[in-house]
Amino acid sequence: MRIPVIQKIIAILWPSFLMAGVATALFFTAFDPALILAHTAFADIPRLGAYTVGFFLFWLLTASTCLLTCYFQRPCDRAPDAS
Amino acid sequence: MNKPESTAPRPTNQGAGADQGMYAKHQKVYPREVHGVFAFWRSTGVFVLLGLYYGLPWLRWDGRQAVLLDLPERKFHIFALTFWPQDFFYLALILIVAALTLFFFTALAGRLWCGYACPQTVWTEVFLRIERLVEGDRARQMTLADAPWGARKVLIKAAKQTLWLVFAAYTGLTFVGYFTPILEVARGLLDFSLGPWETFWIAFYSLATYGNAGFLREQVCIYMCPYARFQSAMFDKNTLIISYDRARGEPRGSRRRGDDYRAKGLGHCIDCTLCVQVCPTGIDIRHGLQYQCIGCAACVDVCDQVMEKMQYPKGLIRYTTENALLGKAVRILRPRVLFYGALLLAMVAGLGYALATRLPLELDVIRDRNALFRETDGGLIENVYTLKILNMDDVPHSYRLTVQGIANLQLHMHRDRIDVPAGEVMELPVRLQVDPGDLSARSSKIAFTLRDRDDPALTVTEDARFLGPAPGTR
Repeated sequence: MRIPVIQKIIAILWPSFLMAGVATALFFTAFDPALILAHTAFADIPRLGAYTVGFFLFWLLTASTCLLTCYFQRPCDRAPDAS
Repeated sequence: MNKPESTAPRPTNQGAGADQGMYAKHQKVYPREVHGVFAFWRSTGVFVLLGLYYGLPWLRWDGRQAVLLDLPERKFHIFALTFWPQDFFYLALILIVAALTLFFFTALAGRLWCGYACPQTVWTEVFLRIERLVEGDRARQMTLADAPWGARKVLIKAAKQTLWLVFAAYTGLTFVGYFTPILEVARGLLDFSLGPWETFWIAFYSLATYGNAGFLREQVCIYMCPYARFQSAMFDKNTLIISYDRARGEPRGSRRRGDDYRAKGLGHCIDCTLCVQVCPTGIDIRHGLQYQCIGCAACVDVCDQVMEKMQYPKGLIRYTTENALLGKAVRILRPRVLFYGALLLAMVAGLGYALATRLPLELDVIRDRNALFRETDGGLIENVYTLKILNMDDVPHSYRLTVQGIANLQLHMHRDRIDVPAGEVMELPVRLQVDPGDLSARSSKIAFTLRDRDDPALTVTEDARFLGPAPGTR
């Protein structure tokens, strides 16, 4: 059975988006970015900026995981007549 | 129960010149406009929910925005309540209550959420209305899609896209208005002084709305919605679903009004395909329950109109249950519904109790990390702590600090009164001193108690350790 391209794209970007959201909420509930960044070169980034960057970093991480999952779930033995 | 037919034929109401986007196979669904009882409820849902969404951020409470999830300040204001990151527990409870509510209503009445309340449905409905406003009804939309590109087509399409984008942008502005005071956001937009992060999120949310409600539409329900996939686990034979009465309708076939359909060997379905034309996900409900069906009841409304015209009884397509279709008794109160209901009640009661007894005060005790203990000139053993006092209330408080756990424990701090302004955190260094003779172990458990001077119910206690030399070594 063929999987539509849009479903493949969604399977990578969408679950990772949801989980990145959850991870961002949990992480920044526990850790205040203003305290984490206080003594680093990024001290002037406002909290909203830190949340944003944090969210996209989480998304990058989770999307990479989804991508690898999709990659590894392809059948290993390609049938001779597979197109 | 019918298994959702994943192999059901795809839309039969596709426009000939359907959109060829990045998702090549997909063909655009042009839902026909529908009127009726359920269309009225769906419109009501759209107005109430979007009214809430766009209106809430403008509501004021006590000199501030009534609902403000203030991310930059790390405080969530919801009317009279203010939540801190320490209150994450309540958010978790609220999410559990929301999930249970969804389960409860799904077991009872199927996809009520999808058809009437899901943001995807609600925003798509608005985008469809804008499309209808600019391009005309379904037939005109399909003709326009087929027409060659000319000045008129460009003008109409550009008008639609502009309206969509403006609406999406306002949606994005409102979204950010829940996290940054909306007056600041609006003012910042008007004089171009809005911060880069706020601007980014307005653009992000606007594009998400535009893409989801303008283009992806039913594909969000089919490919992206997890609920659509696992809802069948909450369904049983007594769940309210939208169903075509096959026994009454078949064999379907066209006829003239007033024809004796029985003589022709036909059922009540005149095969007008209106039920397919109005379907926002482009399915044919006559194929049985399908996972693409979002339960919007557009087909119920339109079929009832046809039945009325044909002078047949209404309800060829209707809200019903599988048991009712099979002529069996329908049970509303069944173990599944009772279980979800009881669990939901318990969680709501728990949340209510937790909120009612919530103390707007928190105390954290941090031991001085530099020294375990110190011996004073007077021969006493001293430990140093930093207390973090969070006044999570909207009014200032004055507290009294005491400590227990060791006999004759002396508490020293630099101030007489502990006054913490509304919504502030105070860091308070304190020293504890005790005679080594009163220590019975290297490490003793002690407890700090912070009590409001006026309201003794507002009391928190936090445990800590007091370290000293091993007893008898002196």
